Amino acid sequence: MTHPVEELTALLDGALPGARRTEVEAHLAGCPACRAERNRLAGATALLAALPAPPVPSPRFATRLAARLAREPAPAAAAAVALLTVRHQRAEELALAGQLDLLEEYEVVASLGDVETEEDAAVVASLDQPGPKGTP
Amino acid sequence: MTQDPDAALMLAFQRGDQAAFRALYERHARAMVGYCHRFVKDAPRAEELAQDVFVKLYRSAHRYSPSARFKTFLYRVATNHCLNELRRGEYAARPASPGAPGGAEAPDLDALPSGAPSPQQALEAARLADAVAALLEGLPEKQRVALVLCRFEGLSYEEIAETLETTVSAVKSLVHRATVAAAAALAPFQPAAPQEVEP
Repeated sequence: MTHPVEELTALLDGALPGARRTEVEAHLAGCPACRAERNRLAGATALLAALPAPPVPSPRFATRLAARLAREPAPAAAAAVALLTVRHQRAEELALAGQLDLLEEYEVVASLGDVETEEDAAVVASLDQPGPKGTP
Repeated sequence: MTQDPDAALMLAFQRGDQAAFRALYERHARAMVGYCHRFVKDAPRAEELAQDVFVKLYRSAHRYSPSARFKTFLYRVATNHCLNELRRGEYAARPASPGAPGGAEAPDLDALPSGAPSPQQALEAARLADAVAALLEGLPEKQRVALVLCRFEGLSYEEIAETLETTVSAVKSLVHRATVAAAAALAPFQPAAPQEVEP
């Protein structure tokens, strides 16, 4: 058996399937080098686990979020805005628009009143212009 | 996916139940602020980013389909947003928090596991936090996200794979490489002569 170094982290995380875990543990029993590497990785994970927890939300977090949401259109209206936003996109872009992780591209249109710089305003103003290839 | 209480709340919100959104907020606000803080190491900015995540959730609820666990869906939204913010580069130039060595915020002593730390312990904790912040900044994006989701957020390899839209095998590799990098970066904090653990 070759040294299963690449699987030692998964072993520590309990993410190896049973049979493979048995094989790797059997290897470790006879391989000081792999045991040393496992212990080094375990030491690192222990240090990471010992870090203080990140800050909790401040008392103002909820009120600020509530204020932002109060400026949002009702969810149904937001859906209409989103549909209007993507109506000029190509078909494949329309399909992808259903995925939330693309929303950042469209969010700027939904916040026309919030642009902060002239450059942003220029970008937003040109969003509805036909593309260079004349797509609708 | 119907057993996922978060998914049920999101679907209720789709039907107009504003209280469902409030419940989602209460269940995940703390985790989202903490997660965003892992990226920007600045409490006010972490709160802004977490607010952005909830606003996105609110705006796009009509598109939500419970095809994945809500938790991994939420972490995906937060991950993409945080990475986009980091790519804009403004955080690299952001000044360190007052009194914090190196750039990471001073540790929240109230959040330490137990008891009152000595000044030496607090200093050591701050140095370790700095070293981890430097480690995270130096990792490739996917390794960084995988490490944070695994070590700090407690997601399983399967959940990380869903979040990153990749395979469990790829996650295994990402987490391993990031952990190897962590072992190297944090070597000065390891005991001088670690005792071997029996296999």
